[in-house]
Amino acid sequence: MTGPLLEVQSLSRRYGRVQAVDDLSFAMARGAITGFVGPNGAGKTTTMRIAATLDVPDRGDVFVDGVSVLVEPREARQRIGYMADQFRPYPNLDVPEYLDFFARAYGLRGRRRLQTVRSVAAFCGLDGFADRPATGLSKGMGQRLHLAKTLLHDPALLILDEPASGLDPRARIEFRALLKELAAAGKGILISSHILPELGELCDSVVVIEKGRRVVAGTIAEIQRSVAAEQAVRLRVLGDAEAAHRFLLTQPGVGAVAVDGDRLRFALAGGDAAAAALLQRAVAAGLSVVEFVRVEADLEDIFLQTTRGNVQ
Amino acid sequence: MTAARAEPPIGRWSRWSDRLNPILVREVQQAVKGRAFALTVLVALVVTVVIATAAVARGAAPDAGRGVFDAGLTTLVPLVLFVVPMQAYHSMRLELRAGIVEQLLLSRLRPRAIVAGKLAAALVQFGLYVSILAPLLATSYLLRGVDVATIATSLGLALVFCLGATAAAISAAAQGATAALQPIGQVVAAFGFGMLSFAMMTFVGTGEYARDLGWLLRRAEFPAVLSAIVLGAAAATTLSALTAQTFLLHAFENRSTGFRVYLFGLPLLALAWIGCFVEPALWAERTAAVVFAATLLGIVFGVFFCTEQRELSPRVRAHVPRRAWAAALAAPWLPGRERGMLCLLLYLAAVGALGWLVWPDPTAATLVFAPGVRVTAFTTGLLRLAAFTAAYGLIYLTLGKGLRRWLPPTFAGNQLARFAVPGLCVLFCLVPVLIDVFLRDGVDQWHGLHVLNPFWTCERFAFRPERGSVLTGLLAAAAGCVLLQLRGLAHGIGEVRAAAALRRRAEAVAWLRRRTASPARSRRWRRATGWRSAARGPAAGRGRSAGSAPAARSSCSISAPMRPATTCATSTGAATRAASSCGCGCTRRKWRRTSTWCSTPRRRWPAPPARSARRGCWRRRSCSGAGARAPRCGC
Ligand SMILES: Nc1ncnc2c1ncn2[C@@H]1O[C@H](COP(=O)(O)OP(=O)(O)OP(=O)(O)O)[C@@H](O)[C@H]1O
Ligand SMILES: [Mg+2]
Repeated sequence: MTGPLLEVQSLSRRYGRVQAVDDLSFAMARGAITGFVGPNGAGKTTTMRIAATLDVPDRGDVFVDGVSVLVEPREARQRIGYMADQFRPYPNLDVPEYLDFFARAYGLRGRRRLQTVRSVAAFCGLDGFADRPATGLSKGMGQRLHLAKTLLHDPALLILDEPASGLDPRARIEFRALLKELAAAGKGILISSHILPELGELCDSVVVIEKGRRVVAGTIAEIQRSVAAEQAVRLRVLGDAEAAHRFLLTQPGVGAVAVDGDRLRFALAGGDAAAAALLQRAVAAGLSVVEFVRVEADLEDIFLQTTRGNVQ
Repeated sequence: MTAARAEPPIGRWSRWSDRLNPILVREVQQAVKGRAFALTVLVALVVTVVIATAAVARGAAPDAGRGVFDAGLTTLVPLVLFVVPMQAYHSMRLELRAGIVEQLLLSRLRPRAIVAGKLAAALVQFGLYVSILAPLLATSYLLRGVDVATIATSLGLALVFCLGATAAAISAAAQGATAALQPIGQVVAAFGFGMLSFAMMTFVGTGEYARDLGWLLRRAEFPAVLSAIVLGAAAATTLSALTAQTFLLHAFENRSTGFRVYLFGLPLLALAWIGCFVEPALWAERTAAVVFAATLLGIVFGVFFCTEQRELSPRVRAHVPRRAWAAALAAPWLPGRERGMLCLLLYLAAVGALGWLVWPDPTAATLVFAPGVRVTAFTTGLLRLAAFTAAYGLIYLTLGKGLRRWLPPTFAGNQLARFAVPGLCVLFCLVPVLIDVFLRDGVDQWHGLHVLNPFWTCERFAFRPERGSVLTGLLAAAAGCVLLQLRGLAHGIGEVRAAAALRRRAEAVAWLRRRTASPARSRRWRRATGWRSAARGPAAGRGRSAGSAPAARSSCSISAPMRPATTCATSTGAATRAASSCGCGCTRRKWRRTSTWCSTPRRRWPAPPARSARRGCWRRRSCSGAGARAPRCGC
């Protein structure tokens, strides 16, 4: 198959008077990690639940590996690993028993089941928790168990709804490493999160939605290019930053100068030529320029620029 | 991820348990570790020991054996009618509340397997409790209190009731109504099963049960009574399991066929029972009772059938039978209120035919029954009552179906309509009464305004054959209601047939795609047919290119010299560039062997004489059918 791994087509879902998802379309390639970003109530969970065959849209369809989740939900389910935003394991089962049960539910039998449970538990770092009840795990370990359960049937697409929420920084870094390994193994990952710097590091592409509508989608570089008409530049000078500030205010194409100690950050209209000309003028004006760097807009900047903070 | 590791040893239990339902394995694992289960087993053991000690203390009293049996069975009753069902209820509720059931549904477990697993777990628990109490039952036998038949029958009945109660509990738990209602639901379930257990404990504990069973065992009717109880419980268990399963199914799955088959199956089961256990002289009377009960049941099911969403879901549409005639035959069994009404009409017709056989008309009756069948006035009354029920049912269901159109096309809309139908009945019963109270001299006798009050009308006219005009009028009104729906019913069948045609078309497209997958063959075919890609460019002609719609849901345009430009659309009707797959992929050799015809869904025409063009056509067998077959030509 050469088509996208996940294709959301004109999806709409309404709950009473709330339009949770509104004509949303996007696609996701194989082996890619796609961030799914939006303010609270933007419709991320709703979209993911529909993609995971747990809800049905009013209109539109979702195709996983070319299989419609509405027409062939059972086949689509075999390709999907869905990690919901909440994890509540069964009481009175320890970690291996919990994984073993789901392995059975996914149709794994005999030695293959045991092997899969072991390798998935080892991959998710659950080796040392064999005697722990599944309900007695910390949040981070619970998320690992949840991920392990999601990986049991080796799905092609992982749909992860805020998997890192509530994790401490170390757990988050470890979790990120797990996801990167999974993507390297060829799995497509659709991940929603409110921790944007992390998503920025992790994702190849992002889809930003607000009020159920797609605001922007594409690789982060593409979005950076499309969103930022002006480039952000960071300037560091030796000595008087105030003089540099005054100089910048007189320059054409420069706007929104912010001073932070000896560093100045400002927006500059025009391309590289404008930047080179400005640097020449700054040096000619006697400023001791130590650093003149173009700053890439990060995911947070993109998010703030593209969304209006509308919550529903 | 799957690092090379030493092969894990696999135990015998692990290998053996692979054959079991995963839910059963998990429930047993959980139960073994759970405190509630340990406590229940402990209590059962203590009670067993206490009863056994008391029996020993009583020594050789003549009724000691019966006393031990009664005490043992009284202990078993709450375990199988309260503890086991409530555990199943809790397990199901927990899974629903914590969203675990969604995780289960994402796995390969079907809702049916989930329900079956829970019933199997109930069976295991039943076995365990029986084995705890087995020493008591054995003691009662050894003390000559009861015989083996009594013990076996009692355990069999306990098993059947345990399964029935557990299925009802799972069904009640699966009906995930609003969160606020769940604690109330739990209280109602606990109260219901508690009261049932209490009543049974009283019945068993006072010794009445053992006495009655002993009496019944000695009578010839015992097999009939026992089989009726077992069949009734099995039917109730099946219905509960079906309902529970329905609530767990994906919203677009077919939730209707099971209920429709069940509805048709019940009267057949009842007739089979009558055939086996009732003496022929009473067949007519019993069949009349079945006719009435089946009609009533049909109307109750009809309320659910006729309030479903109108259209087929995309999933069901994609899985209707491929052939046109099979699709038409399958239509009454498929979801949708029009098809539901059709199914109900077929069912009522079948039940009506059965009623006609026992109607006091000697020719009809003697066709099936012995010439000397007894057709009493009561039998006639029952049949008239069934006719009244059918007429009222059809009238109210037509009204309900009309009302359903105004409600949102969602599951909530279905539920609302299901309450609206009995609501309408109450309204039409109440309004004439209020008119009588406020505008006339009070409610003293039936008059025309009460004609939509089924209870009063039936009470007055069902058992009086001399007042036949009311029944005739009602039956005419019901027939009018059916006539009004003819268009809807036709739409119901038409939708299935259209889905079947679409499916055939899609499969033909897929078949052709496979056939023309070979580049050489494809090139030859293109040359032969003069096919030109609708979407020129690198993507044209390929099944699916990056960014294009998937090939399986596409439309294509063919512009070939030998056939008119044709457009086809498959299941979802999105646009496609998969034009190559729309051609006819037969080779020259095949053409030589068979004559060729090509057709579009609308018209058929013979393959043109030009040799090159002929090569583009298909074998007669696959191409030359009626319009419905045409999609096999790929257009
Ligand atoms: N079952 C439901 N019933 C009613 N409204 C719902 C339901 N599920 C979601 N909604 C509404 O749909 C909108 C989108 O909800 P959703 O959970 O998809 O947002 P989200 O993007 O995941 O938000 P968050 O970032 O807070 O998790 C919200 O306004 C929510 O209130
Ligand atoms: Mg959410």
